[in-house]
Amino acid sequence: MIGLQTVPLLWYQILAAVLFTIGVVGVLVRRSALIIFMSIELMLNAVNLSLIAFSRQHGDMDGHIIVFFVMAVAAAEVSVGLAILVAIFRNRETANVDDVHLLKG
Amino acid sequence: MLEPLLFAMFSGVAIGCALGVVFHKNSVHCALLLVGVLLSLAGIFILLHAQFVAALQVIVYAGAIMVLFLFVVMLLNVKGEVPLLTPGAAKGFGFFFALLILVELLWTVLSPGGQEGAPSEAVGLPRDFGSPAALGRLLYTTWLYPFEITSILLLVAVVGAVVLAKRKFF
Amino acid sequence: MDLAFFIEALVKILVVLGFVLLGVPLIVWMERKVLGHMQDRIGPQRVGPFGLLQTIADGIKLFFKEDLVPAQADKVVFAIAPAISVVTALAAASVIPFGDQFRIFGRDVPLHITDVNIAILFLLGATSMGVYGVVLGGWASNSKYPLLGGLRASAQMISYELAMGVALVPIILMTGSLSLAQIGRAQDHMWFIVPQFVAFTIYVICAVAETNRAPFDLAEAETELVAGFHTEFSSMRFALYYLSEYANMMVVSAVAITCFLGAWHGPVLPGPVWFLIKLSLFLFFYVWLRATFPRLRYDQLMAFGWKVLLPVALVNLAVTAVVLVLKG
Repeated sequence: MIGLQTVPLLWYQILAAVLFTIGVVGVLVRRSALIIFMSIELMLNAVNLSLIAFSRQHGDMDGHIIVFFVMAVAAAEVSVGLAILVAIFRNRETANVDDVHLLKG
Repeated sequence: MLEPLLFAMFSGVAIGCALGVVFHKNSVHCALLLVGVLLSLAGIFILLHAQFVAALQVIVYAGAIMVLFLFVVMLLNVKGEVPLLTPGAAKGFGFFFALLILVELLWTVLSPGGQEGAPSEAVGLPRDFGSPAALGRLLYTTWLYPFEITSILLLVAVVGAVVLAKRKFF
Repeated sequence: MDLAFFIEALVKILVVLGFVLLGVPLIVWMERKVLGHMQDRIGPQRVGPFGLLQTIADGIKLFFKEDLVPAQADKVVFAIAPAISVVTALAAASVIPFGDQFRIFGRDVPLHITDVNIAILFLLGATSMGVYGVVLGGWASNSKYPLLGGLRASAQMISYELAMGVALVPIILMTGSLSLAQIGRAQDHMWFIVPQFVAFTIYVICAVAETNRAPFDLAEAETELVAGFHTEFSSMRFALYYLSEYANMMVVSAVAITCFLGAWHGPVLPGPVWFLIKLSLFLFFYVWLRATFPRLRYDQLMAFGWKVLLPVALVNLAVTAVVLVLKG
């Protein structure tokens, strides 16, 4: 048996909520595709934090495993997403998501 | 009494850097601030006895994914032409909905029912909690199937990235 | 108890820090002297006996030089980039065991600053953070050649880090531990270089690439890129990059010794002495490589890393795993 927790679970949850919200703000108000990507990473990390905190509270490592999967998915997402971004930038010379609207009627 | 102090420090850095990611003009600085968020979260993971995940966070997230980000940001070298914030009313809506989400999340967390199901006191942990060995044991028994699927996902991502990056398709 | 622990930690930190910081001038001197003799000339000989103080003199000269920052540079990032390089290199040194534990004043003193149970991961983490120092230095200069050098270096380092990590996994399988001290102790009877010669070869090649040394010094190839990522750096900032490069060399050599060359084990002499001897031989090997091989082309470098080293490392890992399971 190891260390007792002195910081209550609640604080971790509040921190995760705040980080998640900042990520949401980034996705909603920024127009650069790169920053939107980074904000999504921020949101994923906020969720990871709450998973780890719950894991600690329950003394159960399943949360760690889910974080592991989240990281793998994030890596896949970033590699493909950035490749798409580079392709768009090559063709249209822009990273602004509002400029990519050819499919809009 | 070290733990609350460290928690305050890491969370302060994390929130400060996160705000920087969203509101800084320069994309490279944004990427660096995101690295700051990731590293301070790794610190918090260690506080929560998740050493292996913290190491993964540094190696995979901060060390590989973010380098990729930085690479693309430098390669594209987008300067100034993207407006910092969404123009017009959409910006107001954006902030409004974000606020709504924050209120909702905090409501869920702080309401009396929010803590239901979780043990009120953190339970004592087994010695090997968060160690690579314990995580590996879980990963290759209970979670074997999702694990294998993840490897296929990564393979698909690699192939997809290579195909997208090839010039002749465009 | 607590005070003793504190003092012990402090002493060890000072010893390791002092060793790395004082070791760097010595290595630079050795490199110049050895390179000189291999190229049929004498090398530094004016300052101090055998030119031993040459590097110190160079350091003092750099210290007094004007601190130039390019007008268009990103000032903040320009300032922190060299610091990142040095900090990560020194942080990595903190988990290296340089001897077995011994008893003094009734305390068991292990000869490493700290032995976290994920020491190898810590090392990989520190090296992967080290990429930032190089790539940011290149970007912040806001100049053509440094940017190219920085991009090259980042691609090279993340590619070779992969093969390096996979080459270390068989060692972890064989000892069943991620702690470097445990790995060192496990080589009491047989050095891991014997069963894991393939992994050792891969590790050494990756280590050279990881530290941006010849023949893999594409990031600072002077014929193409002036001086690569640190072209615009002068004075102390340049000295910091220089320091971090050699500190990194020491760290990767120390890891090679700990994981493959029997750590501190050796007959007659005490552990730390053996460790020092092996470290010097390994660093000599580094210089020898530089004097022998021409620089690779960039596409050759990437192709070699991804199409040769990584597959071989993976096959080696699979074979090791199968053999270990069959042996029970």
